Amino acid sequence: MLSEKIQKALAPLNLEKVAAGDYSKTGYHLEAAAQPGQMPAVAQALLDTGCFLESLTAVDSSRESFTLVYHFANFYELCRTVVHAPLAKPAAAPTISHIYAGADWYEREVYDLYGIRFAGHPNLKRLLLPEDADFHPLLKDFGATQENV
Amino acid sequence: MNFMVQTLGTAGATMVVGLIGVMALVAVNALFLIWMERKVSAHMQLRPGPMEVGWHGAIQTIADAIKLMGKELITPEEVDRPIFWLAPIVIFLPVLLSFLVIPFSASWIIRDMNVGIVLILAFSTLAVLSILMAGWSSNNKYAVLGAIRSVAQNVAYEIPLLITVMSIILMVGSFKLTDIVAAQERLWFVLLQPVAFILYIICATAETNRAPFDIPEAESELVAGFHTEYSGMRFALFFLAEYTNMFICSAIAAVLFLGGWHGPILPGVVWFLIKVYFVIFLMMWFRWTFPRTRFDQLITFAWKILIPLAFANLLITALVLKLR
Amino acid sequence: MFERGLEEKTFWLNLGPQHPSTHGVLRVLLEMDGEYIVTAEPVIGYGHRGHEHMAENRNYQQFLPNMGRVDYLHALAFNQGYCMAVEKLMGIKVPERAEYIRVITAEMNRLTSHFLWVGAYLMDLGAFTPFLYCFDDREHLLDLLDRITGSRLTYCFYRFGGVPVDLDEEFIAGTRAFIKRLRSRWPDYDNLVTKNIIFIKRTKDVGVITKEQCVQYGLTGPMVRGSGIAYDIRKSEPYSAYPEFDFEIPIGDNGDVYDRYIVRIREMEQSLRIMEQALNKLPEGPIMAEKVPKRLKPAAGEVYQAVETARGEFGCYIVSQGDIKPYRIKLRVPSFANLSILPEASVDNLVADVVAILGSIDVVVPEVDR
Repeated sequence: MLSEKIQKALAPLNLEKVAAGDYSKTGYHLEAAAQPGQMPAVAQALLDTGCFLESLTAVDSSRESFTLVYHFANFYELCRTVVHAPLAKPAAAPTISHIYAGADWYEREVYDLYGIRFAGHPNLKRLLLPEDADFHPLLKDFGATQENV
Repeated sequence: MNFMVQTLGTAGATMVVGLIGVMALVAVNALFLIWMERKVSAHMQLRPGPMEVGWHGAIQTIADAIKLMGKELITPEEVDRPIFWLAPIVIFLPVLLSFLVIPFSASWIIRDMNVGIVLILAFSTLAVLSILMAGWSSNNKYAVLGAIRSVAQNVAYEIPLLITVMSIILMVGSFKLTDIVAAQERLWFVLLQPVAFILYIICATAETNRAPFDIPEAESELVAGFHTEYSGMRFALFFLAEYTNMFICSAIAAVLFLGGWHGPILPGVVWFLIKVYFVIFLMMWFRWTFPRTRFDQLITFAWKILIPLAFANLLITALVLKLR
Repeated sequence: MFERGLEEKTFWLNLGPQHPSTHGVLRVLLEMDGEYIVTAEPVIGYGHRGHEHMAENRNYQQFLPNMGRVDYLHALAFNQGYCMAVEKLMGIKVPERAEYIRVITAEMNRLTSHFLWVGAYLMDLGAFTPFLYCFDDREHLLDLLDRITGSRLTYCFYRFGGVPVDLDEEFIAGTRAFIKRLRSRWPDYDNLVTKNIIFIKRTKDVGVITKEQCVQYGLTGPMVRGSGIAYDIRKSEPYSAYPEFDFEIPIGDNGDVYDRYIVRIREMEQSLRIMEQALNKLPEGPIMAEKVPKRLKPAAGEVYQAVETARGEFGCYIVSQGDIKPYRIKLRVPSFANLSILPEASVDNLVADVVAILGSIDVVVPEVDR
């Protein structure tokens, strides 16, 4: 079973949480929580088990912190792993773009929309927004948040 | 007419009348060919094509021509003006002059030169110069790329074209177009030289920059290639030259391979035009069914397949003629 | 002419944002050595409308029409992914007939998307005629879909808990007739395109993508299937009514542009099979779940729902904090990841090949930009 293999691979990293997820409710087979600093190691472990990075995003979870959300899946066996990494503001996290080439754009997008810096990213610049934009639209305190638009 | 014959002599009068006739033919032919291309492509693509202006859209092209004439001639800031202005004229002149020697029938020929075929081939080579001028002076990277491709392509395809034509000339022993046609009174050369005919059609398609060899203007890669920056009537001149060029290439095909004006019942001119438009239809057929070749494949094809084939064909022709 | 001086070997070429073969406002900045590509950098974001930001400012129903605007070519799959994610969050059970209707319409929409791709792709390669053949066939599908969904492109047809309109006899008869018609058309496509020597020369061994690259870049859809990985969410993570149908996942073996073309063409036949089986087995019953609340207020939590669109995996990630508005919606779109491989795939190729590779990725630019 892939999920056991992943659990075994993640075990030496001493993550906060590695547990089976409730697939029928959330769509996750495996849920993990990690510090952002541990993410390169986690990504490497998942790459070694043959998983690909399905998506990488962030949530502006509170005034004090973001949560980075990494989804991993596998081409040959159904096993979706989610890793939540809480990140205190003002934020910088290590990049995983040297492990997963696809993370390059995802991290640029997160930087673009949230202003989260990824240390060690080779080309961290705006992706979707214009180069000269001076805002990060998915921050909860960004402008147009009206009631009942 | 009498006045002209008195002042210019018979030859001169034929020239003048001929040139006027050629001008008219070029215009009418282009209008007709554009309409024909639209209709041919439309029917190949399960649609009716132009239907609104005139009978089955017959005068649609005239409407378009008027529109094009009314358009502003945009000269971009950074272009090399004299060359930019000259290029559409330069592309048109050699095409026009080639009509001088085309034998529409035994008597309908403006000037029956004894180096007719050489003249046409020489003039058709000039077209590449104007493409280069247009591409270079436009000061646009797409245009330059298109022009560079065009030069490489023309050099590559002129050689097999010439060699192929040589094998016909060997059989006739004359450069004169009327002699070549006269030699086919009983048997068309397409039956004696089928390989040469196929080679010629391929090279002619490449010479006229039409699909599948339209890489100098490959719109999905180079936007519009060498004429990216041209607008209005200047663009129309390139367009007109392309279609006139097609007519000339097809006319040579008719002369060299399809027996020129020979044919039963109908007058020679009619037969000649039928043959020309049949070859044009072939070229349109290619265009609307094939994808575009890639540039390097196109050049490889010319140098590695067409040229050896054309040489082999020439050698075999020479051998057969010698042994006979 | 080239500002960097003649002694410099390379020059820059802007492919787009207005260019015939970037299919929308995509710009690719090419560094070229003659006709060869040295580096390629896609510049995206021209069509960024901020869907994810809009999501945070509207309630769940209000965001539904946005889904048809993300990927306008396979809008129904996006509808489906979002509806399923919200249904999972709310614990709504969709009736079987509704699932069947969703499958039928989503597969039809997949066909329209593939048709447009085949046509546009061949136009990139310089063949114009197949484009109109494809549009002819596509038109029949659009008429059928128009009949039941009320629109031709940006569909918004699925609702939380089912579908609003039932299939009628005319639609079913029309779909059956279309399936028959399309099957008789495959030989035409084969003769016109697939067996064409120029087409094969243009596409074979061009833009090869390896299995390792698929993992590295998180590619999905025909991109990975062309490289020989049988990854299709409809099979590997079955959802809706897909487990009840018998269909195959076509895969290529080289991972080149040709394989991706073949995969898509074969996939269209599989879509026909699914539609046929679904029409044959169409169960009776309601088309809308009972007791779907008017005001959706899911409990706090998060959900990730993946569906297979024409371009690959669409993942809808919703974070709810127990409000009537989602706290965060992330749309994991297939084209975004698929496009990110372009720089690596196009290096050292001719500019004509870059057009072929870019076309084979099948990007829908508004989907990349969101």
